[in-house]
Amino acid sequence: MKPRAIVAVVAALMVLAFGSAAFAQTDCKTLMPASPWGPNDQTGATNRITPAVTKAAAAEIQEGKVIAMSYPLVDGVPLFGSRFTKTILTAVTLAPGAALGENNLTYMEDTWLSQSHVGTHLDGLGHIGRKDCYFNQTAMGKFINQNNMTKLGLEHLKPFATRGVVIDMVKVYQQANKLKTNPACKKPCLDKGTVISAADIQAGLKMYNVTLREGDIVAIHTGWGDLFEQYPAQNALYNSGEPGIGKEAAAWLISQKIVAVGTDTWAVEVIPGESPKEAFIVHQMLLTDNGIHIIENVRTDLIAGEAAATGRATFFFSMTVPKAVGMTGNFVGIEGIR
Amino acid sequence: MKDRASASSPRGRRRPHVWWVAAGLLAALLVAGALTPARAERQYVVAFANLTEEPGVTVEGTGFTGREIRESFVLAARKYPVEMVYYDNQRDDARALQNADAAIARKVDLYIQYHQGGANVAIAEKLKAAGIPILALNYPVPGAPLYTMDNLVAGRVAGEALAQFALRAWRGQPTVAAVVGNLSAVADRVPERAQGVTEALARRLPAVRVTPVDTRGNPAQVGPLLGKFLAAHPTGKLLLAATDDTTALAVKGAVETAGRVHDAAIVSHGVDRTIHGGMNDRKEIDPNNRGSIVIGSVAFYLDRYGYDVLPLAMRVLRGESVPARVTTRHTLVTAANVFIEYPPYDMN
Repeated sequence: MKPRAIVAVVAALMVLAFGSAAFAQTDCKTLMPASPWGPNDQTGATNRITPAVTKAAAAEIQEGKVIAMSYPLVDGVPLFGSRFTKTILTAVTLAPGAALGENNLTYMEDTWLSQSHVGTHLDGLGHIGRKDCYFNQTAMGKFINQNNMTKLGLEHLKPFATRGVVIDMVKVYQQANKLKTNPACKKPCLDKGTVISAADIQAGLKMYNVTLREGDIVAIHTGWGDLFEQYPAQNALYNSGEPGIGKEAAAWLISQKIVAVGTDTWAVEVIPGESPKEAFIVHQMLLTDNGIHIIENVRTDLIAGEAAATGRATFFFSMTVPKAVGMTGNFVGIEGIR
Repeated sequence: MKDRASASSPRGRRRPHVWWVAAGLLAALLVAGALTPARAERQYVVAFANLTEEPGVTVEGTGFTGREIRESFVLAARKYPVEMVYYDNQRDDARALQNADAAIARKVDLYIQYHQGGANVAIAEKLKAAGIPILALNYPVPGAPLYTMDNLVAGRVAGEALAQFALRAWRGQPTVAAVVGNLSAVADRVPERAQGVTEALARRLPAVRVTPVDTRGNPAQVGPLLGKFLAAHPTGKLLLAATDDTTALAVKGAVETAGRVHDAAIVSHGVDRTIHGGMNDRKEIDPNNRGSIVIGSVAFYLDRYGYDVLPLAMRVLRGESVPARVTTRHTLVTAANVFIEYPPYDMN
């Protein structure tokens, strides 16, 4: 064989060998953008919470007032279908004669059997994908076993210690004279199916003269959480749909380089969605494509009330997320500190 | 302040500067035009006069209710500059005429008429005189574009699905077929579905005889009537077309009762909520139930009418041309595509 022919054959074999591997690797690259924080990034938008961001957010703590932003996680709160959360108390030493030692020590413990996406909870980067591709072009099929993920787990996230901004959408809609509340809400609420637009969010910011900063977490008060608080009476209605952000609003929030968006609803985005043939597309926009977290069932009424009373819509956002290795999300505790 | 360049330059030499200034102004205008938001389209008032809103009553020989149709307009309208006004024709000519009068008094910009009756002619004249364009839904209104289901095409899709299944799974085996449902419901054009099924089976499986089983709209009759058919054909394979989803589930029950599950394939019409479900519902057409003998149902999408009709309405309102007849895309929905056609949202 002539040298030129050998070179041609070798070149062809190399194209075939590397070409197929390249196809396998580029599959997810065709479906979503790469992380701006590099090919190995598993941290997503919490990369934006730098020491400078946290320090600046600390300036929001002026009165030492702590406002709860989580709902109680207890039997009877709205859950979907087969989802469950259940606790079992172990209290054997309370039985007569079962106390330990001369000091009569007794103890109790809990067994918590629960799914992770219940109550006030964080959607992690492994929660939502497009086909088998997840945040940062991760071909997730290679990174899962029967117990958890081996990539994109909650353990990779940075602490959520940053500035929070509450947007009172109820007030926005009231001021625009377009609030159509649901009769089951005891306090005014946006009705399910209401599409919150970018202009609505901007109006909510303008109401308190706030400009979003990179690294902020946005909490949108829709009033729909009032139905959560009425559990279990309004669980079916609460789960049947919700007001929420549409695609255009999501795109605008993404452009603001925020870390997370939370609402007093179960999915943050409008349900039923803008197109009946799209499933949770705002989740894909935020989480899958941009690593921006979604926080669901956030208690927003108290912080919205604080904003209304004081004219200040910003606060220090403190959220505890367990270092739950390989998990797609978890229930969280959130406090707004002022 | 005096322009030094213009002061020192002869007139002829100023021209290149003029051109640059002109080009700059033009560019600025173009950029400004691109950055300035397009002028908001005016808000239209669109009336939708529904066939009926009677609670729980299904329409068009399917499992969908008039309320579901109206709700699809409510949801679809969110993305258009329209204020919707809803009327209920109550399947009544006099009421339909009153609704048209109310819409004229309201000065609506467009009237979507969903009514089956002689009043459509008079309503067309009234609205034409008032200068209000009409879109007709499922039943023609003189001079108005029509959006409609096509029962014949839907039936052919169902028949084709059964034939394909038989050719793939039972080739060469003795096979009989039945069309089961409210076959006498001429007003709902159910016989057209049966005709479509029969045509498709005759084309693909000419040796297969198709037996009509008319339940007269009573699903409770499916068991006894189909039982006779099954008893008359104790061996061989069974291709069963149900004209609606409730009937399909009753047919499945009858087949199970007769112990003929391994001999039967069922295709339905409608794809209403009784036959497909969400992530947490276990319904008959479900990705986790791929072995069902109900191999699919032909979609009618009445719960999506708003999404299909409002784009046409906007074209009418904007003065664009609209085809005289637009038909529903009747897709066969199976376990393989049900979550694509009807993505569930009971998870988060």
